[in-house]
Amino acid sequence: MDAQVRSVLRRVIQRIPNKNIENLLKKWNCLSADQLCALDYTRPKWMIVEQVTSFCEENRLNLKHITNLEMIYHIENPDKGVWHACQLTEAQDDAVGVDLTQFKEQFKAHLHGVVRHISIKIKKHEDEAIWIRIAWGDNFSKPNHLKPTYVVHHLHTSYVFISNLMAKHKIFLCQALVIATKHGSIKDGHLSTRSLTAMRELLLRRYQQVTYPAMFTVTKHLFAGLFTDPCIGKEHSEHEEMRYQMSCEAFGHGPTPKLETAVYRLETRYRGNGNHTLSDREEFFRGVVRFSSSSLLDSLRHCVASGMAEGPVTPLLSAITQRGRNYFVITDKGPGVSSQASAQRA
Amino acid sequence: ESLIINPFCCLYYPCSAVNTPASRPVTRRSKSYGRSCVEAPSYFWQTPGHLAVLKIPNSRGTAKSQTITNKVDPEHIALLVKNEWKLSYITPLHHFRHTRLKSYSKHLSAFIVAEKQQGVAVEVGLEAGFKVTFSAVLGLAENDEDAETVFIQIQSKPVFAAVADAPKVVWRGWLTCVNGDLEYLRSLPPDFVSLPLFCTSGPESLTTLVKSWFERVFDCNFGCLALNSTTLNWLTALWTGCHPTCNIRHLKLAWSLPTQPPLDVSYTVNPQDAWELWNSIHPEESTDDRIDIQEVQSFINGLEAHFFRHFKIFLSAGTLVKVSTALGSAHVDGKIKVIVM
Repeated sequence: MDAQVRSVLRRVIQRIPNKNIENLLKKWNCLSADQLCALDYTRPKWMIVEQVTSFCEENRLNLKHITNLEMIYHIENPDKGVWHACQLTEAQDDAVGVDLTQFKEQFKAHLHGVVRHISIKIKKHEDEAIWIRIAWGDNFSKPNHLKPTYVVHHLHTSYVFISNLMAKHKIFLCQALVIATKHGSIKDGHLSTRSLTAMRELLLRRYQQVTYPAMFTVTKHLFAGLFTDPCIGKEHSEHEEMRYQMSCEAFGHGPTPKLETAVYRLETRYRGNGNHTLSDREEFFRGVVRFSSSSLLDSLRHCVASGMAEGPVTPLLSAITQRGRNYFVITDKGPGVSSQASAQRA
Repeated sequence: ESLIINPFCCLYYPCSAVNTPASRPVTRRSKSYGRSCVEAPSYFWQTPGHLAVLKIPNSRGTAKSQTITNKVDPEHIALLVKNEWKLSYITPLHHFRHTRLKSYSKHLSAFIVAEKQQGVAVEVGLEAGFKVTFSAVLGLAENDEDAETVFIQIQSKPVFAAVADAPKVVWRGWLTCVNGDLEYLRSLPPDFVSLPLFCTSGPESLTTLVKSWFERVFDCNFGCLALNSTTLNWLTALWTGCHPTCNIRHLKLAWSLPTQPPLDVSYTVNPQDAWELWNSIHPEESTDDRIDIQEVQSFINGLEAHFFRHFKIFLSAGTLVKVSTALGSAHVDGKIKVIVM
């Protein structure tokens, strides 16, 4: 095993808490039962790394095996790193007919054709997701396995999730995806998050809302504790109900996808209060608003339900769930007062 | 040429009469730190326990930039702008002498080591010795009565280290008085020195030890100095007002809303646009050199209203926790950073 392979291996082991290493190695199935038993997970990390490395050398494992381990690690821990969503558009007529074999062939063929040194690994996971690992090289250098790009795609959906892609490789990856899925083009989804799970839930609508009336009585008491005083709550119960309904319509019931941030670039005219000369200004009042929370959609939902936000929920916020994105550029369209979310490229 | 905008102009701290018997009314003056806004004296009864009355003025003069390198050694400036400082206030120090800094260095050093041996937890390494350095930072004083700033640095050195090993700075702090209230300072008994603002950076355990040493040696008290939202509002307006003189690069405000889980909202405004909004409220050309709290409130309201029109969220339901520009930053927990341009 050369230095690069050892580095890849060391990085994988170092990232996982000791208690999870055993499971990963078992799934990997490249070390013998004796070797697995011999590993002591109570030791310091660097000792475990050394031990595993020496077992790998013993078994004459190579780059293929180690990158496979890394891939398993990422599949098992999808909420590490930063993921960006892209959307495929202009599906051709035979797009629905594309199967996994075709996709793999086309994807690899294209990339091998345009990038001299490249290493591609494609795996299908049990939940129908296709995982792709790409180590990029160029005309002069071998693929860099320390900075691989990861791509996740569910066939016959229009979304692709990408992590760790450098700007200079973007065009190649996009071309390959478009060709292999038989679409006309691909565009930025304006959605970034650390949690791939949240991203998939949001875009593939995996967190289906239960119908409002059925859920309201059940969950209402859960929200009751969040309002200040039960007597006040009773008096304002109509308003409360309405606010609650609005909040769920915009952000869903029950557990929401765990987004952390939403960013809005404001390029609108000043809309403050009072008679400031600024209100007549032609120029924009520029700024960037960033919302962050350990669970953004839960926070926003509570904001609406508790009255900290006024209803009806502004389309700027509901666009997060309705349009599945968390980056927006807000401009004034025409002389009107209302501003709309516009899908401009970042 | 370096400019510094003194953000400490927004801080008030109490001067407590520690040993006054409880039966007499006590005159208490709020002190302006940095700018001369003198409040009328107020009377109150001293009660057992702590008193920390912070009074924020309703108006103050505009912040003015100064060329600080003319007055303060650039190396000293570098020390002050390096970190984010946690603020506390101290009552006047009894028998503190600027001439005895070397002796204080040794004394505090020994104190820290002794406390550690007694089992007082100090996070910095097991086998470390400590080297404390007190030094005077000259030039920050603004008026004749301001005492010179004192800077304290604590370095840790492993007990068995080689001579060549450089000790690491593990804690820094400074006591200062800038533009203190003249009448108050002159009224202090001769044995007392007032260095009311204490800024610290480093592990809390060392801060606690330093404070307890000061308390024992100089018979003083410390208290937390938090910055409330009003103070942050002032800083927002004052810093924005400086934009024509020195590019503030951005005006960033951060709120925290009490949702579950808590929601952080940060709003970064283009500096020119922020300045124009401020200027429409408090025109630059106005002959009145004073800024009124109403104007500051109007400015913040304007920003919050613009935000509201877009997101329909009442930022006033939350708390403004931090304001930052290229000139510095201030956090509601009493943390402040000053940047010299």
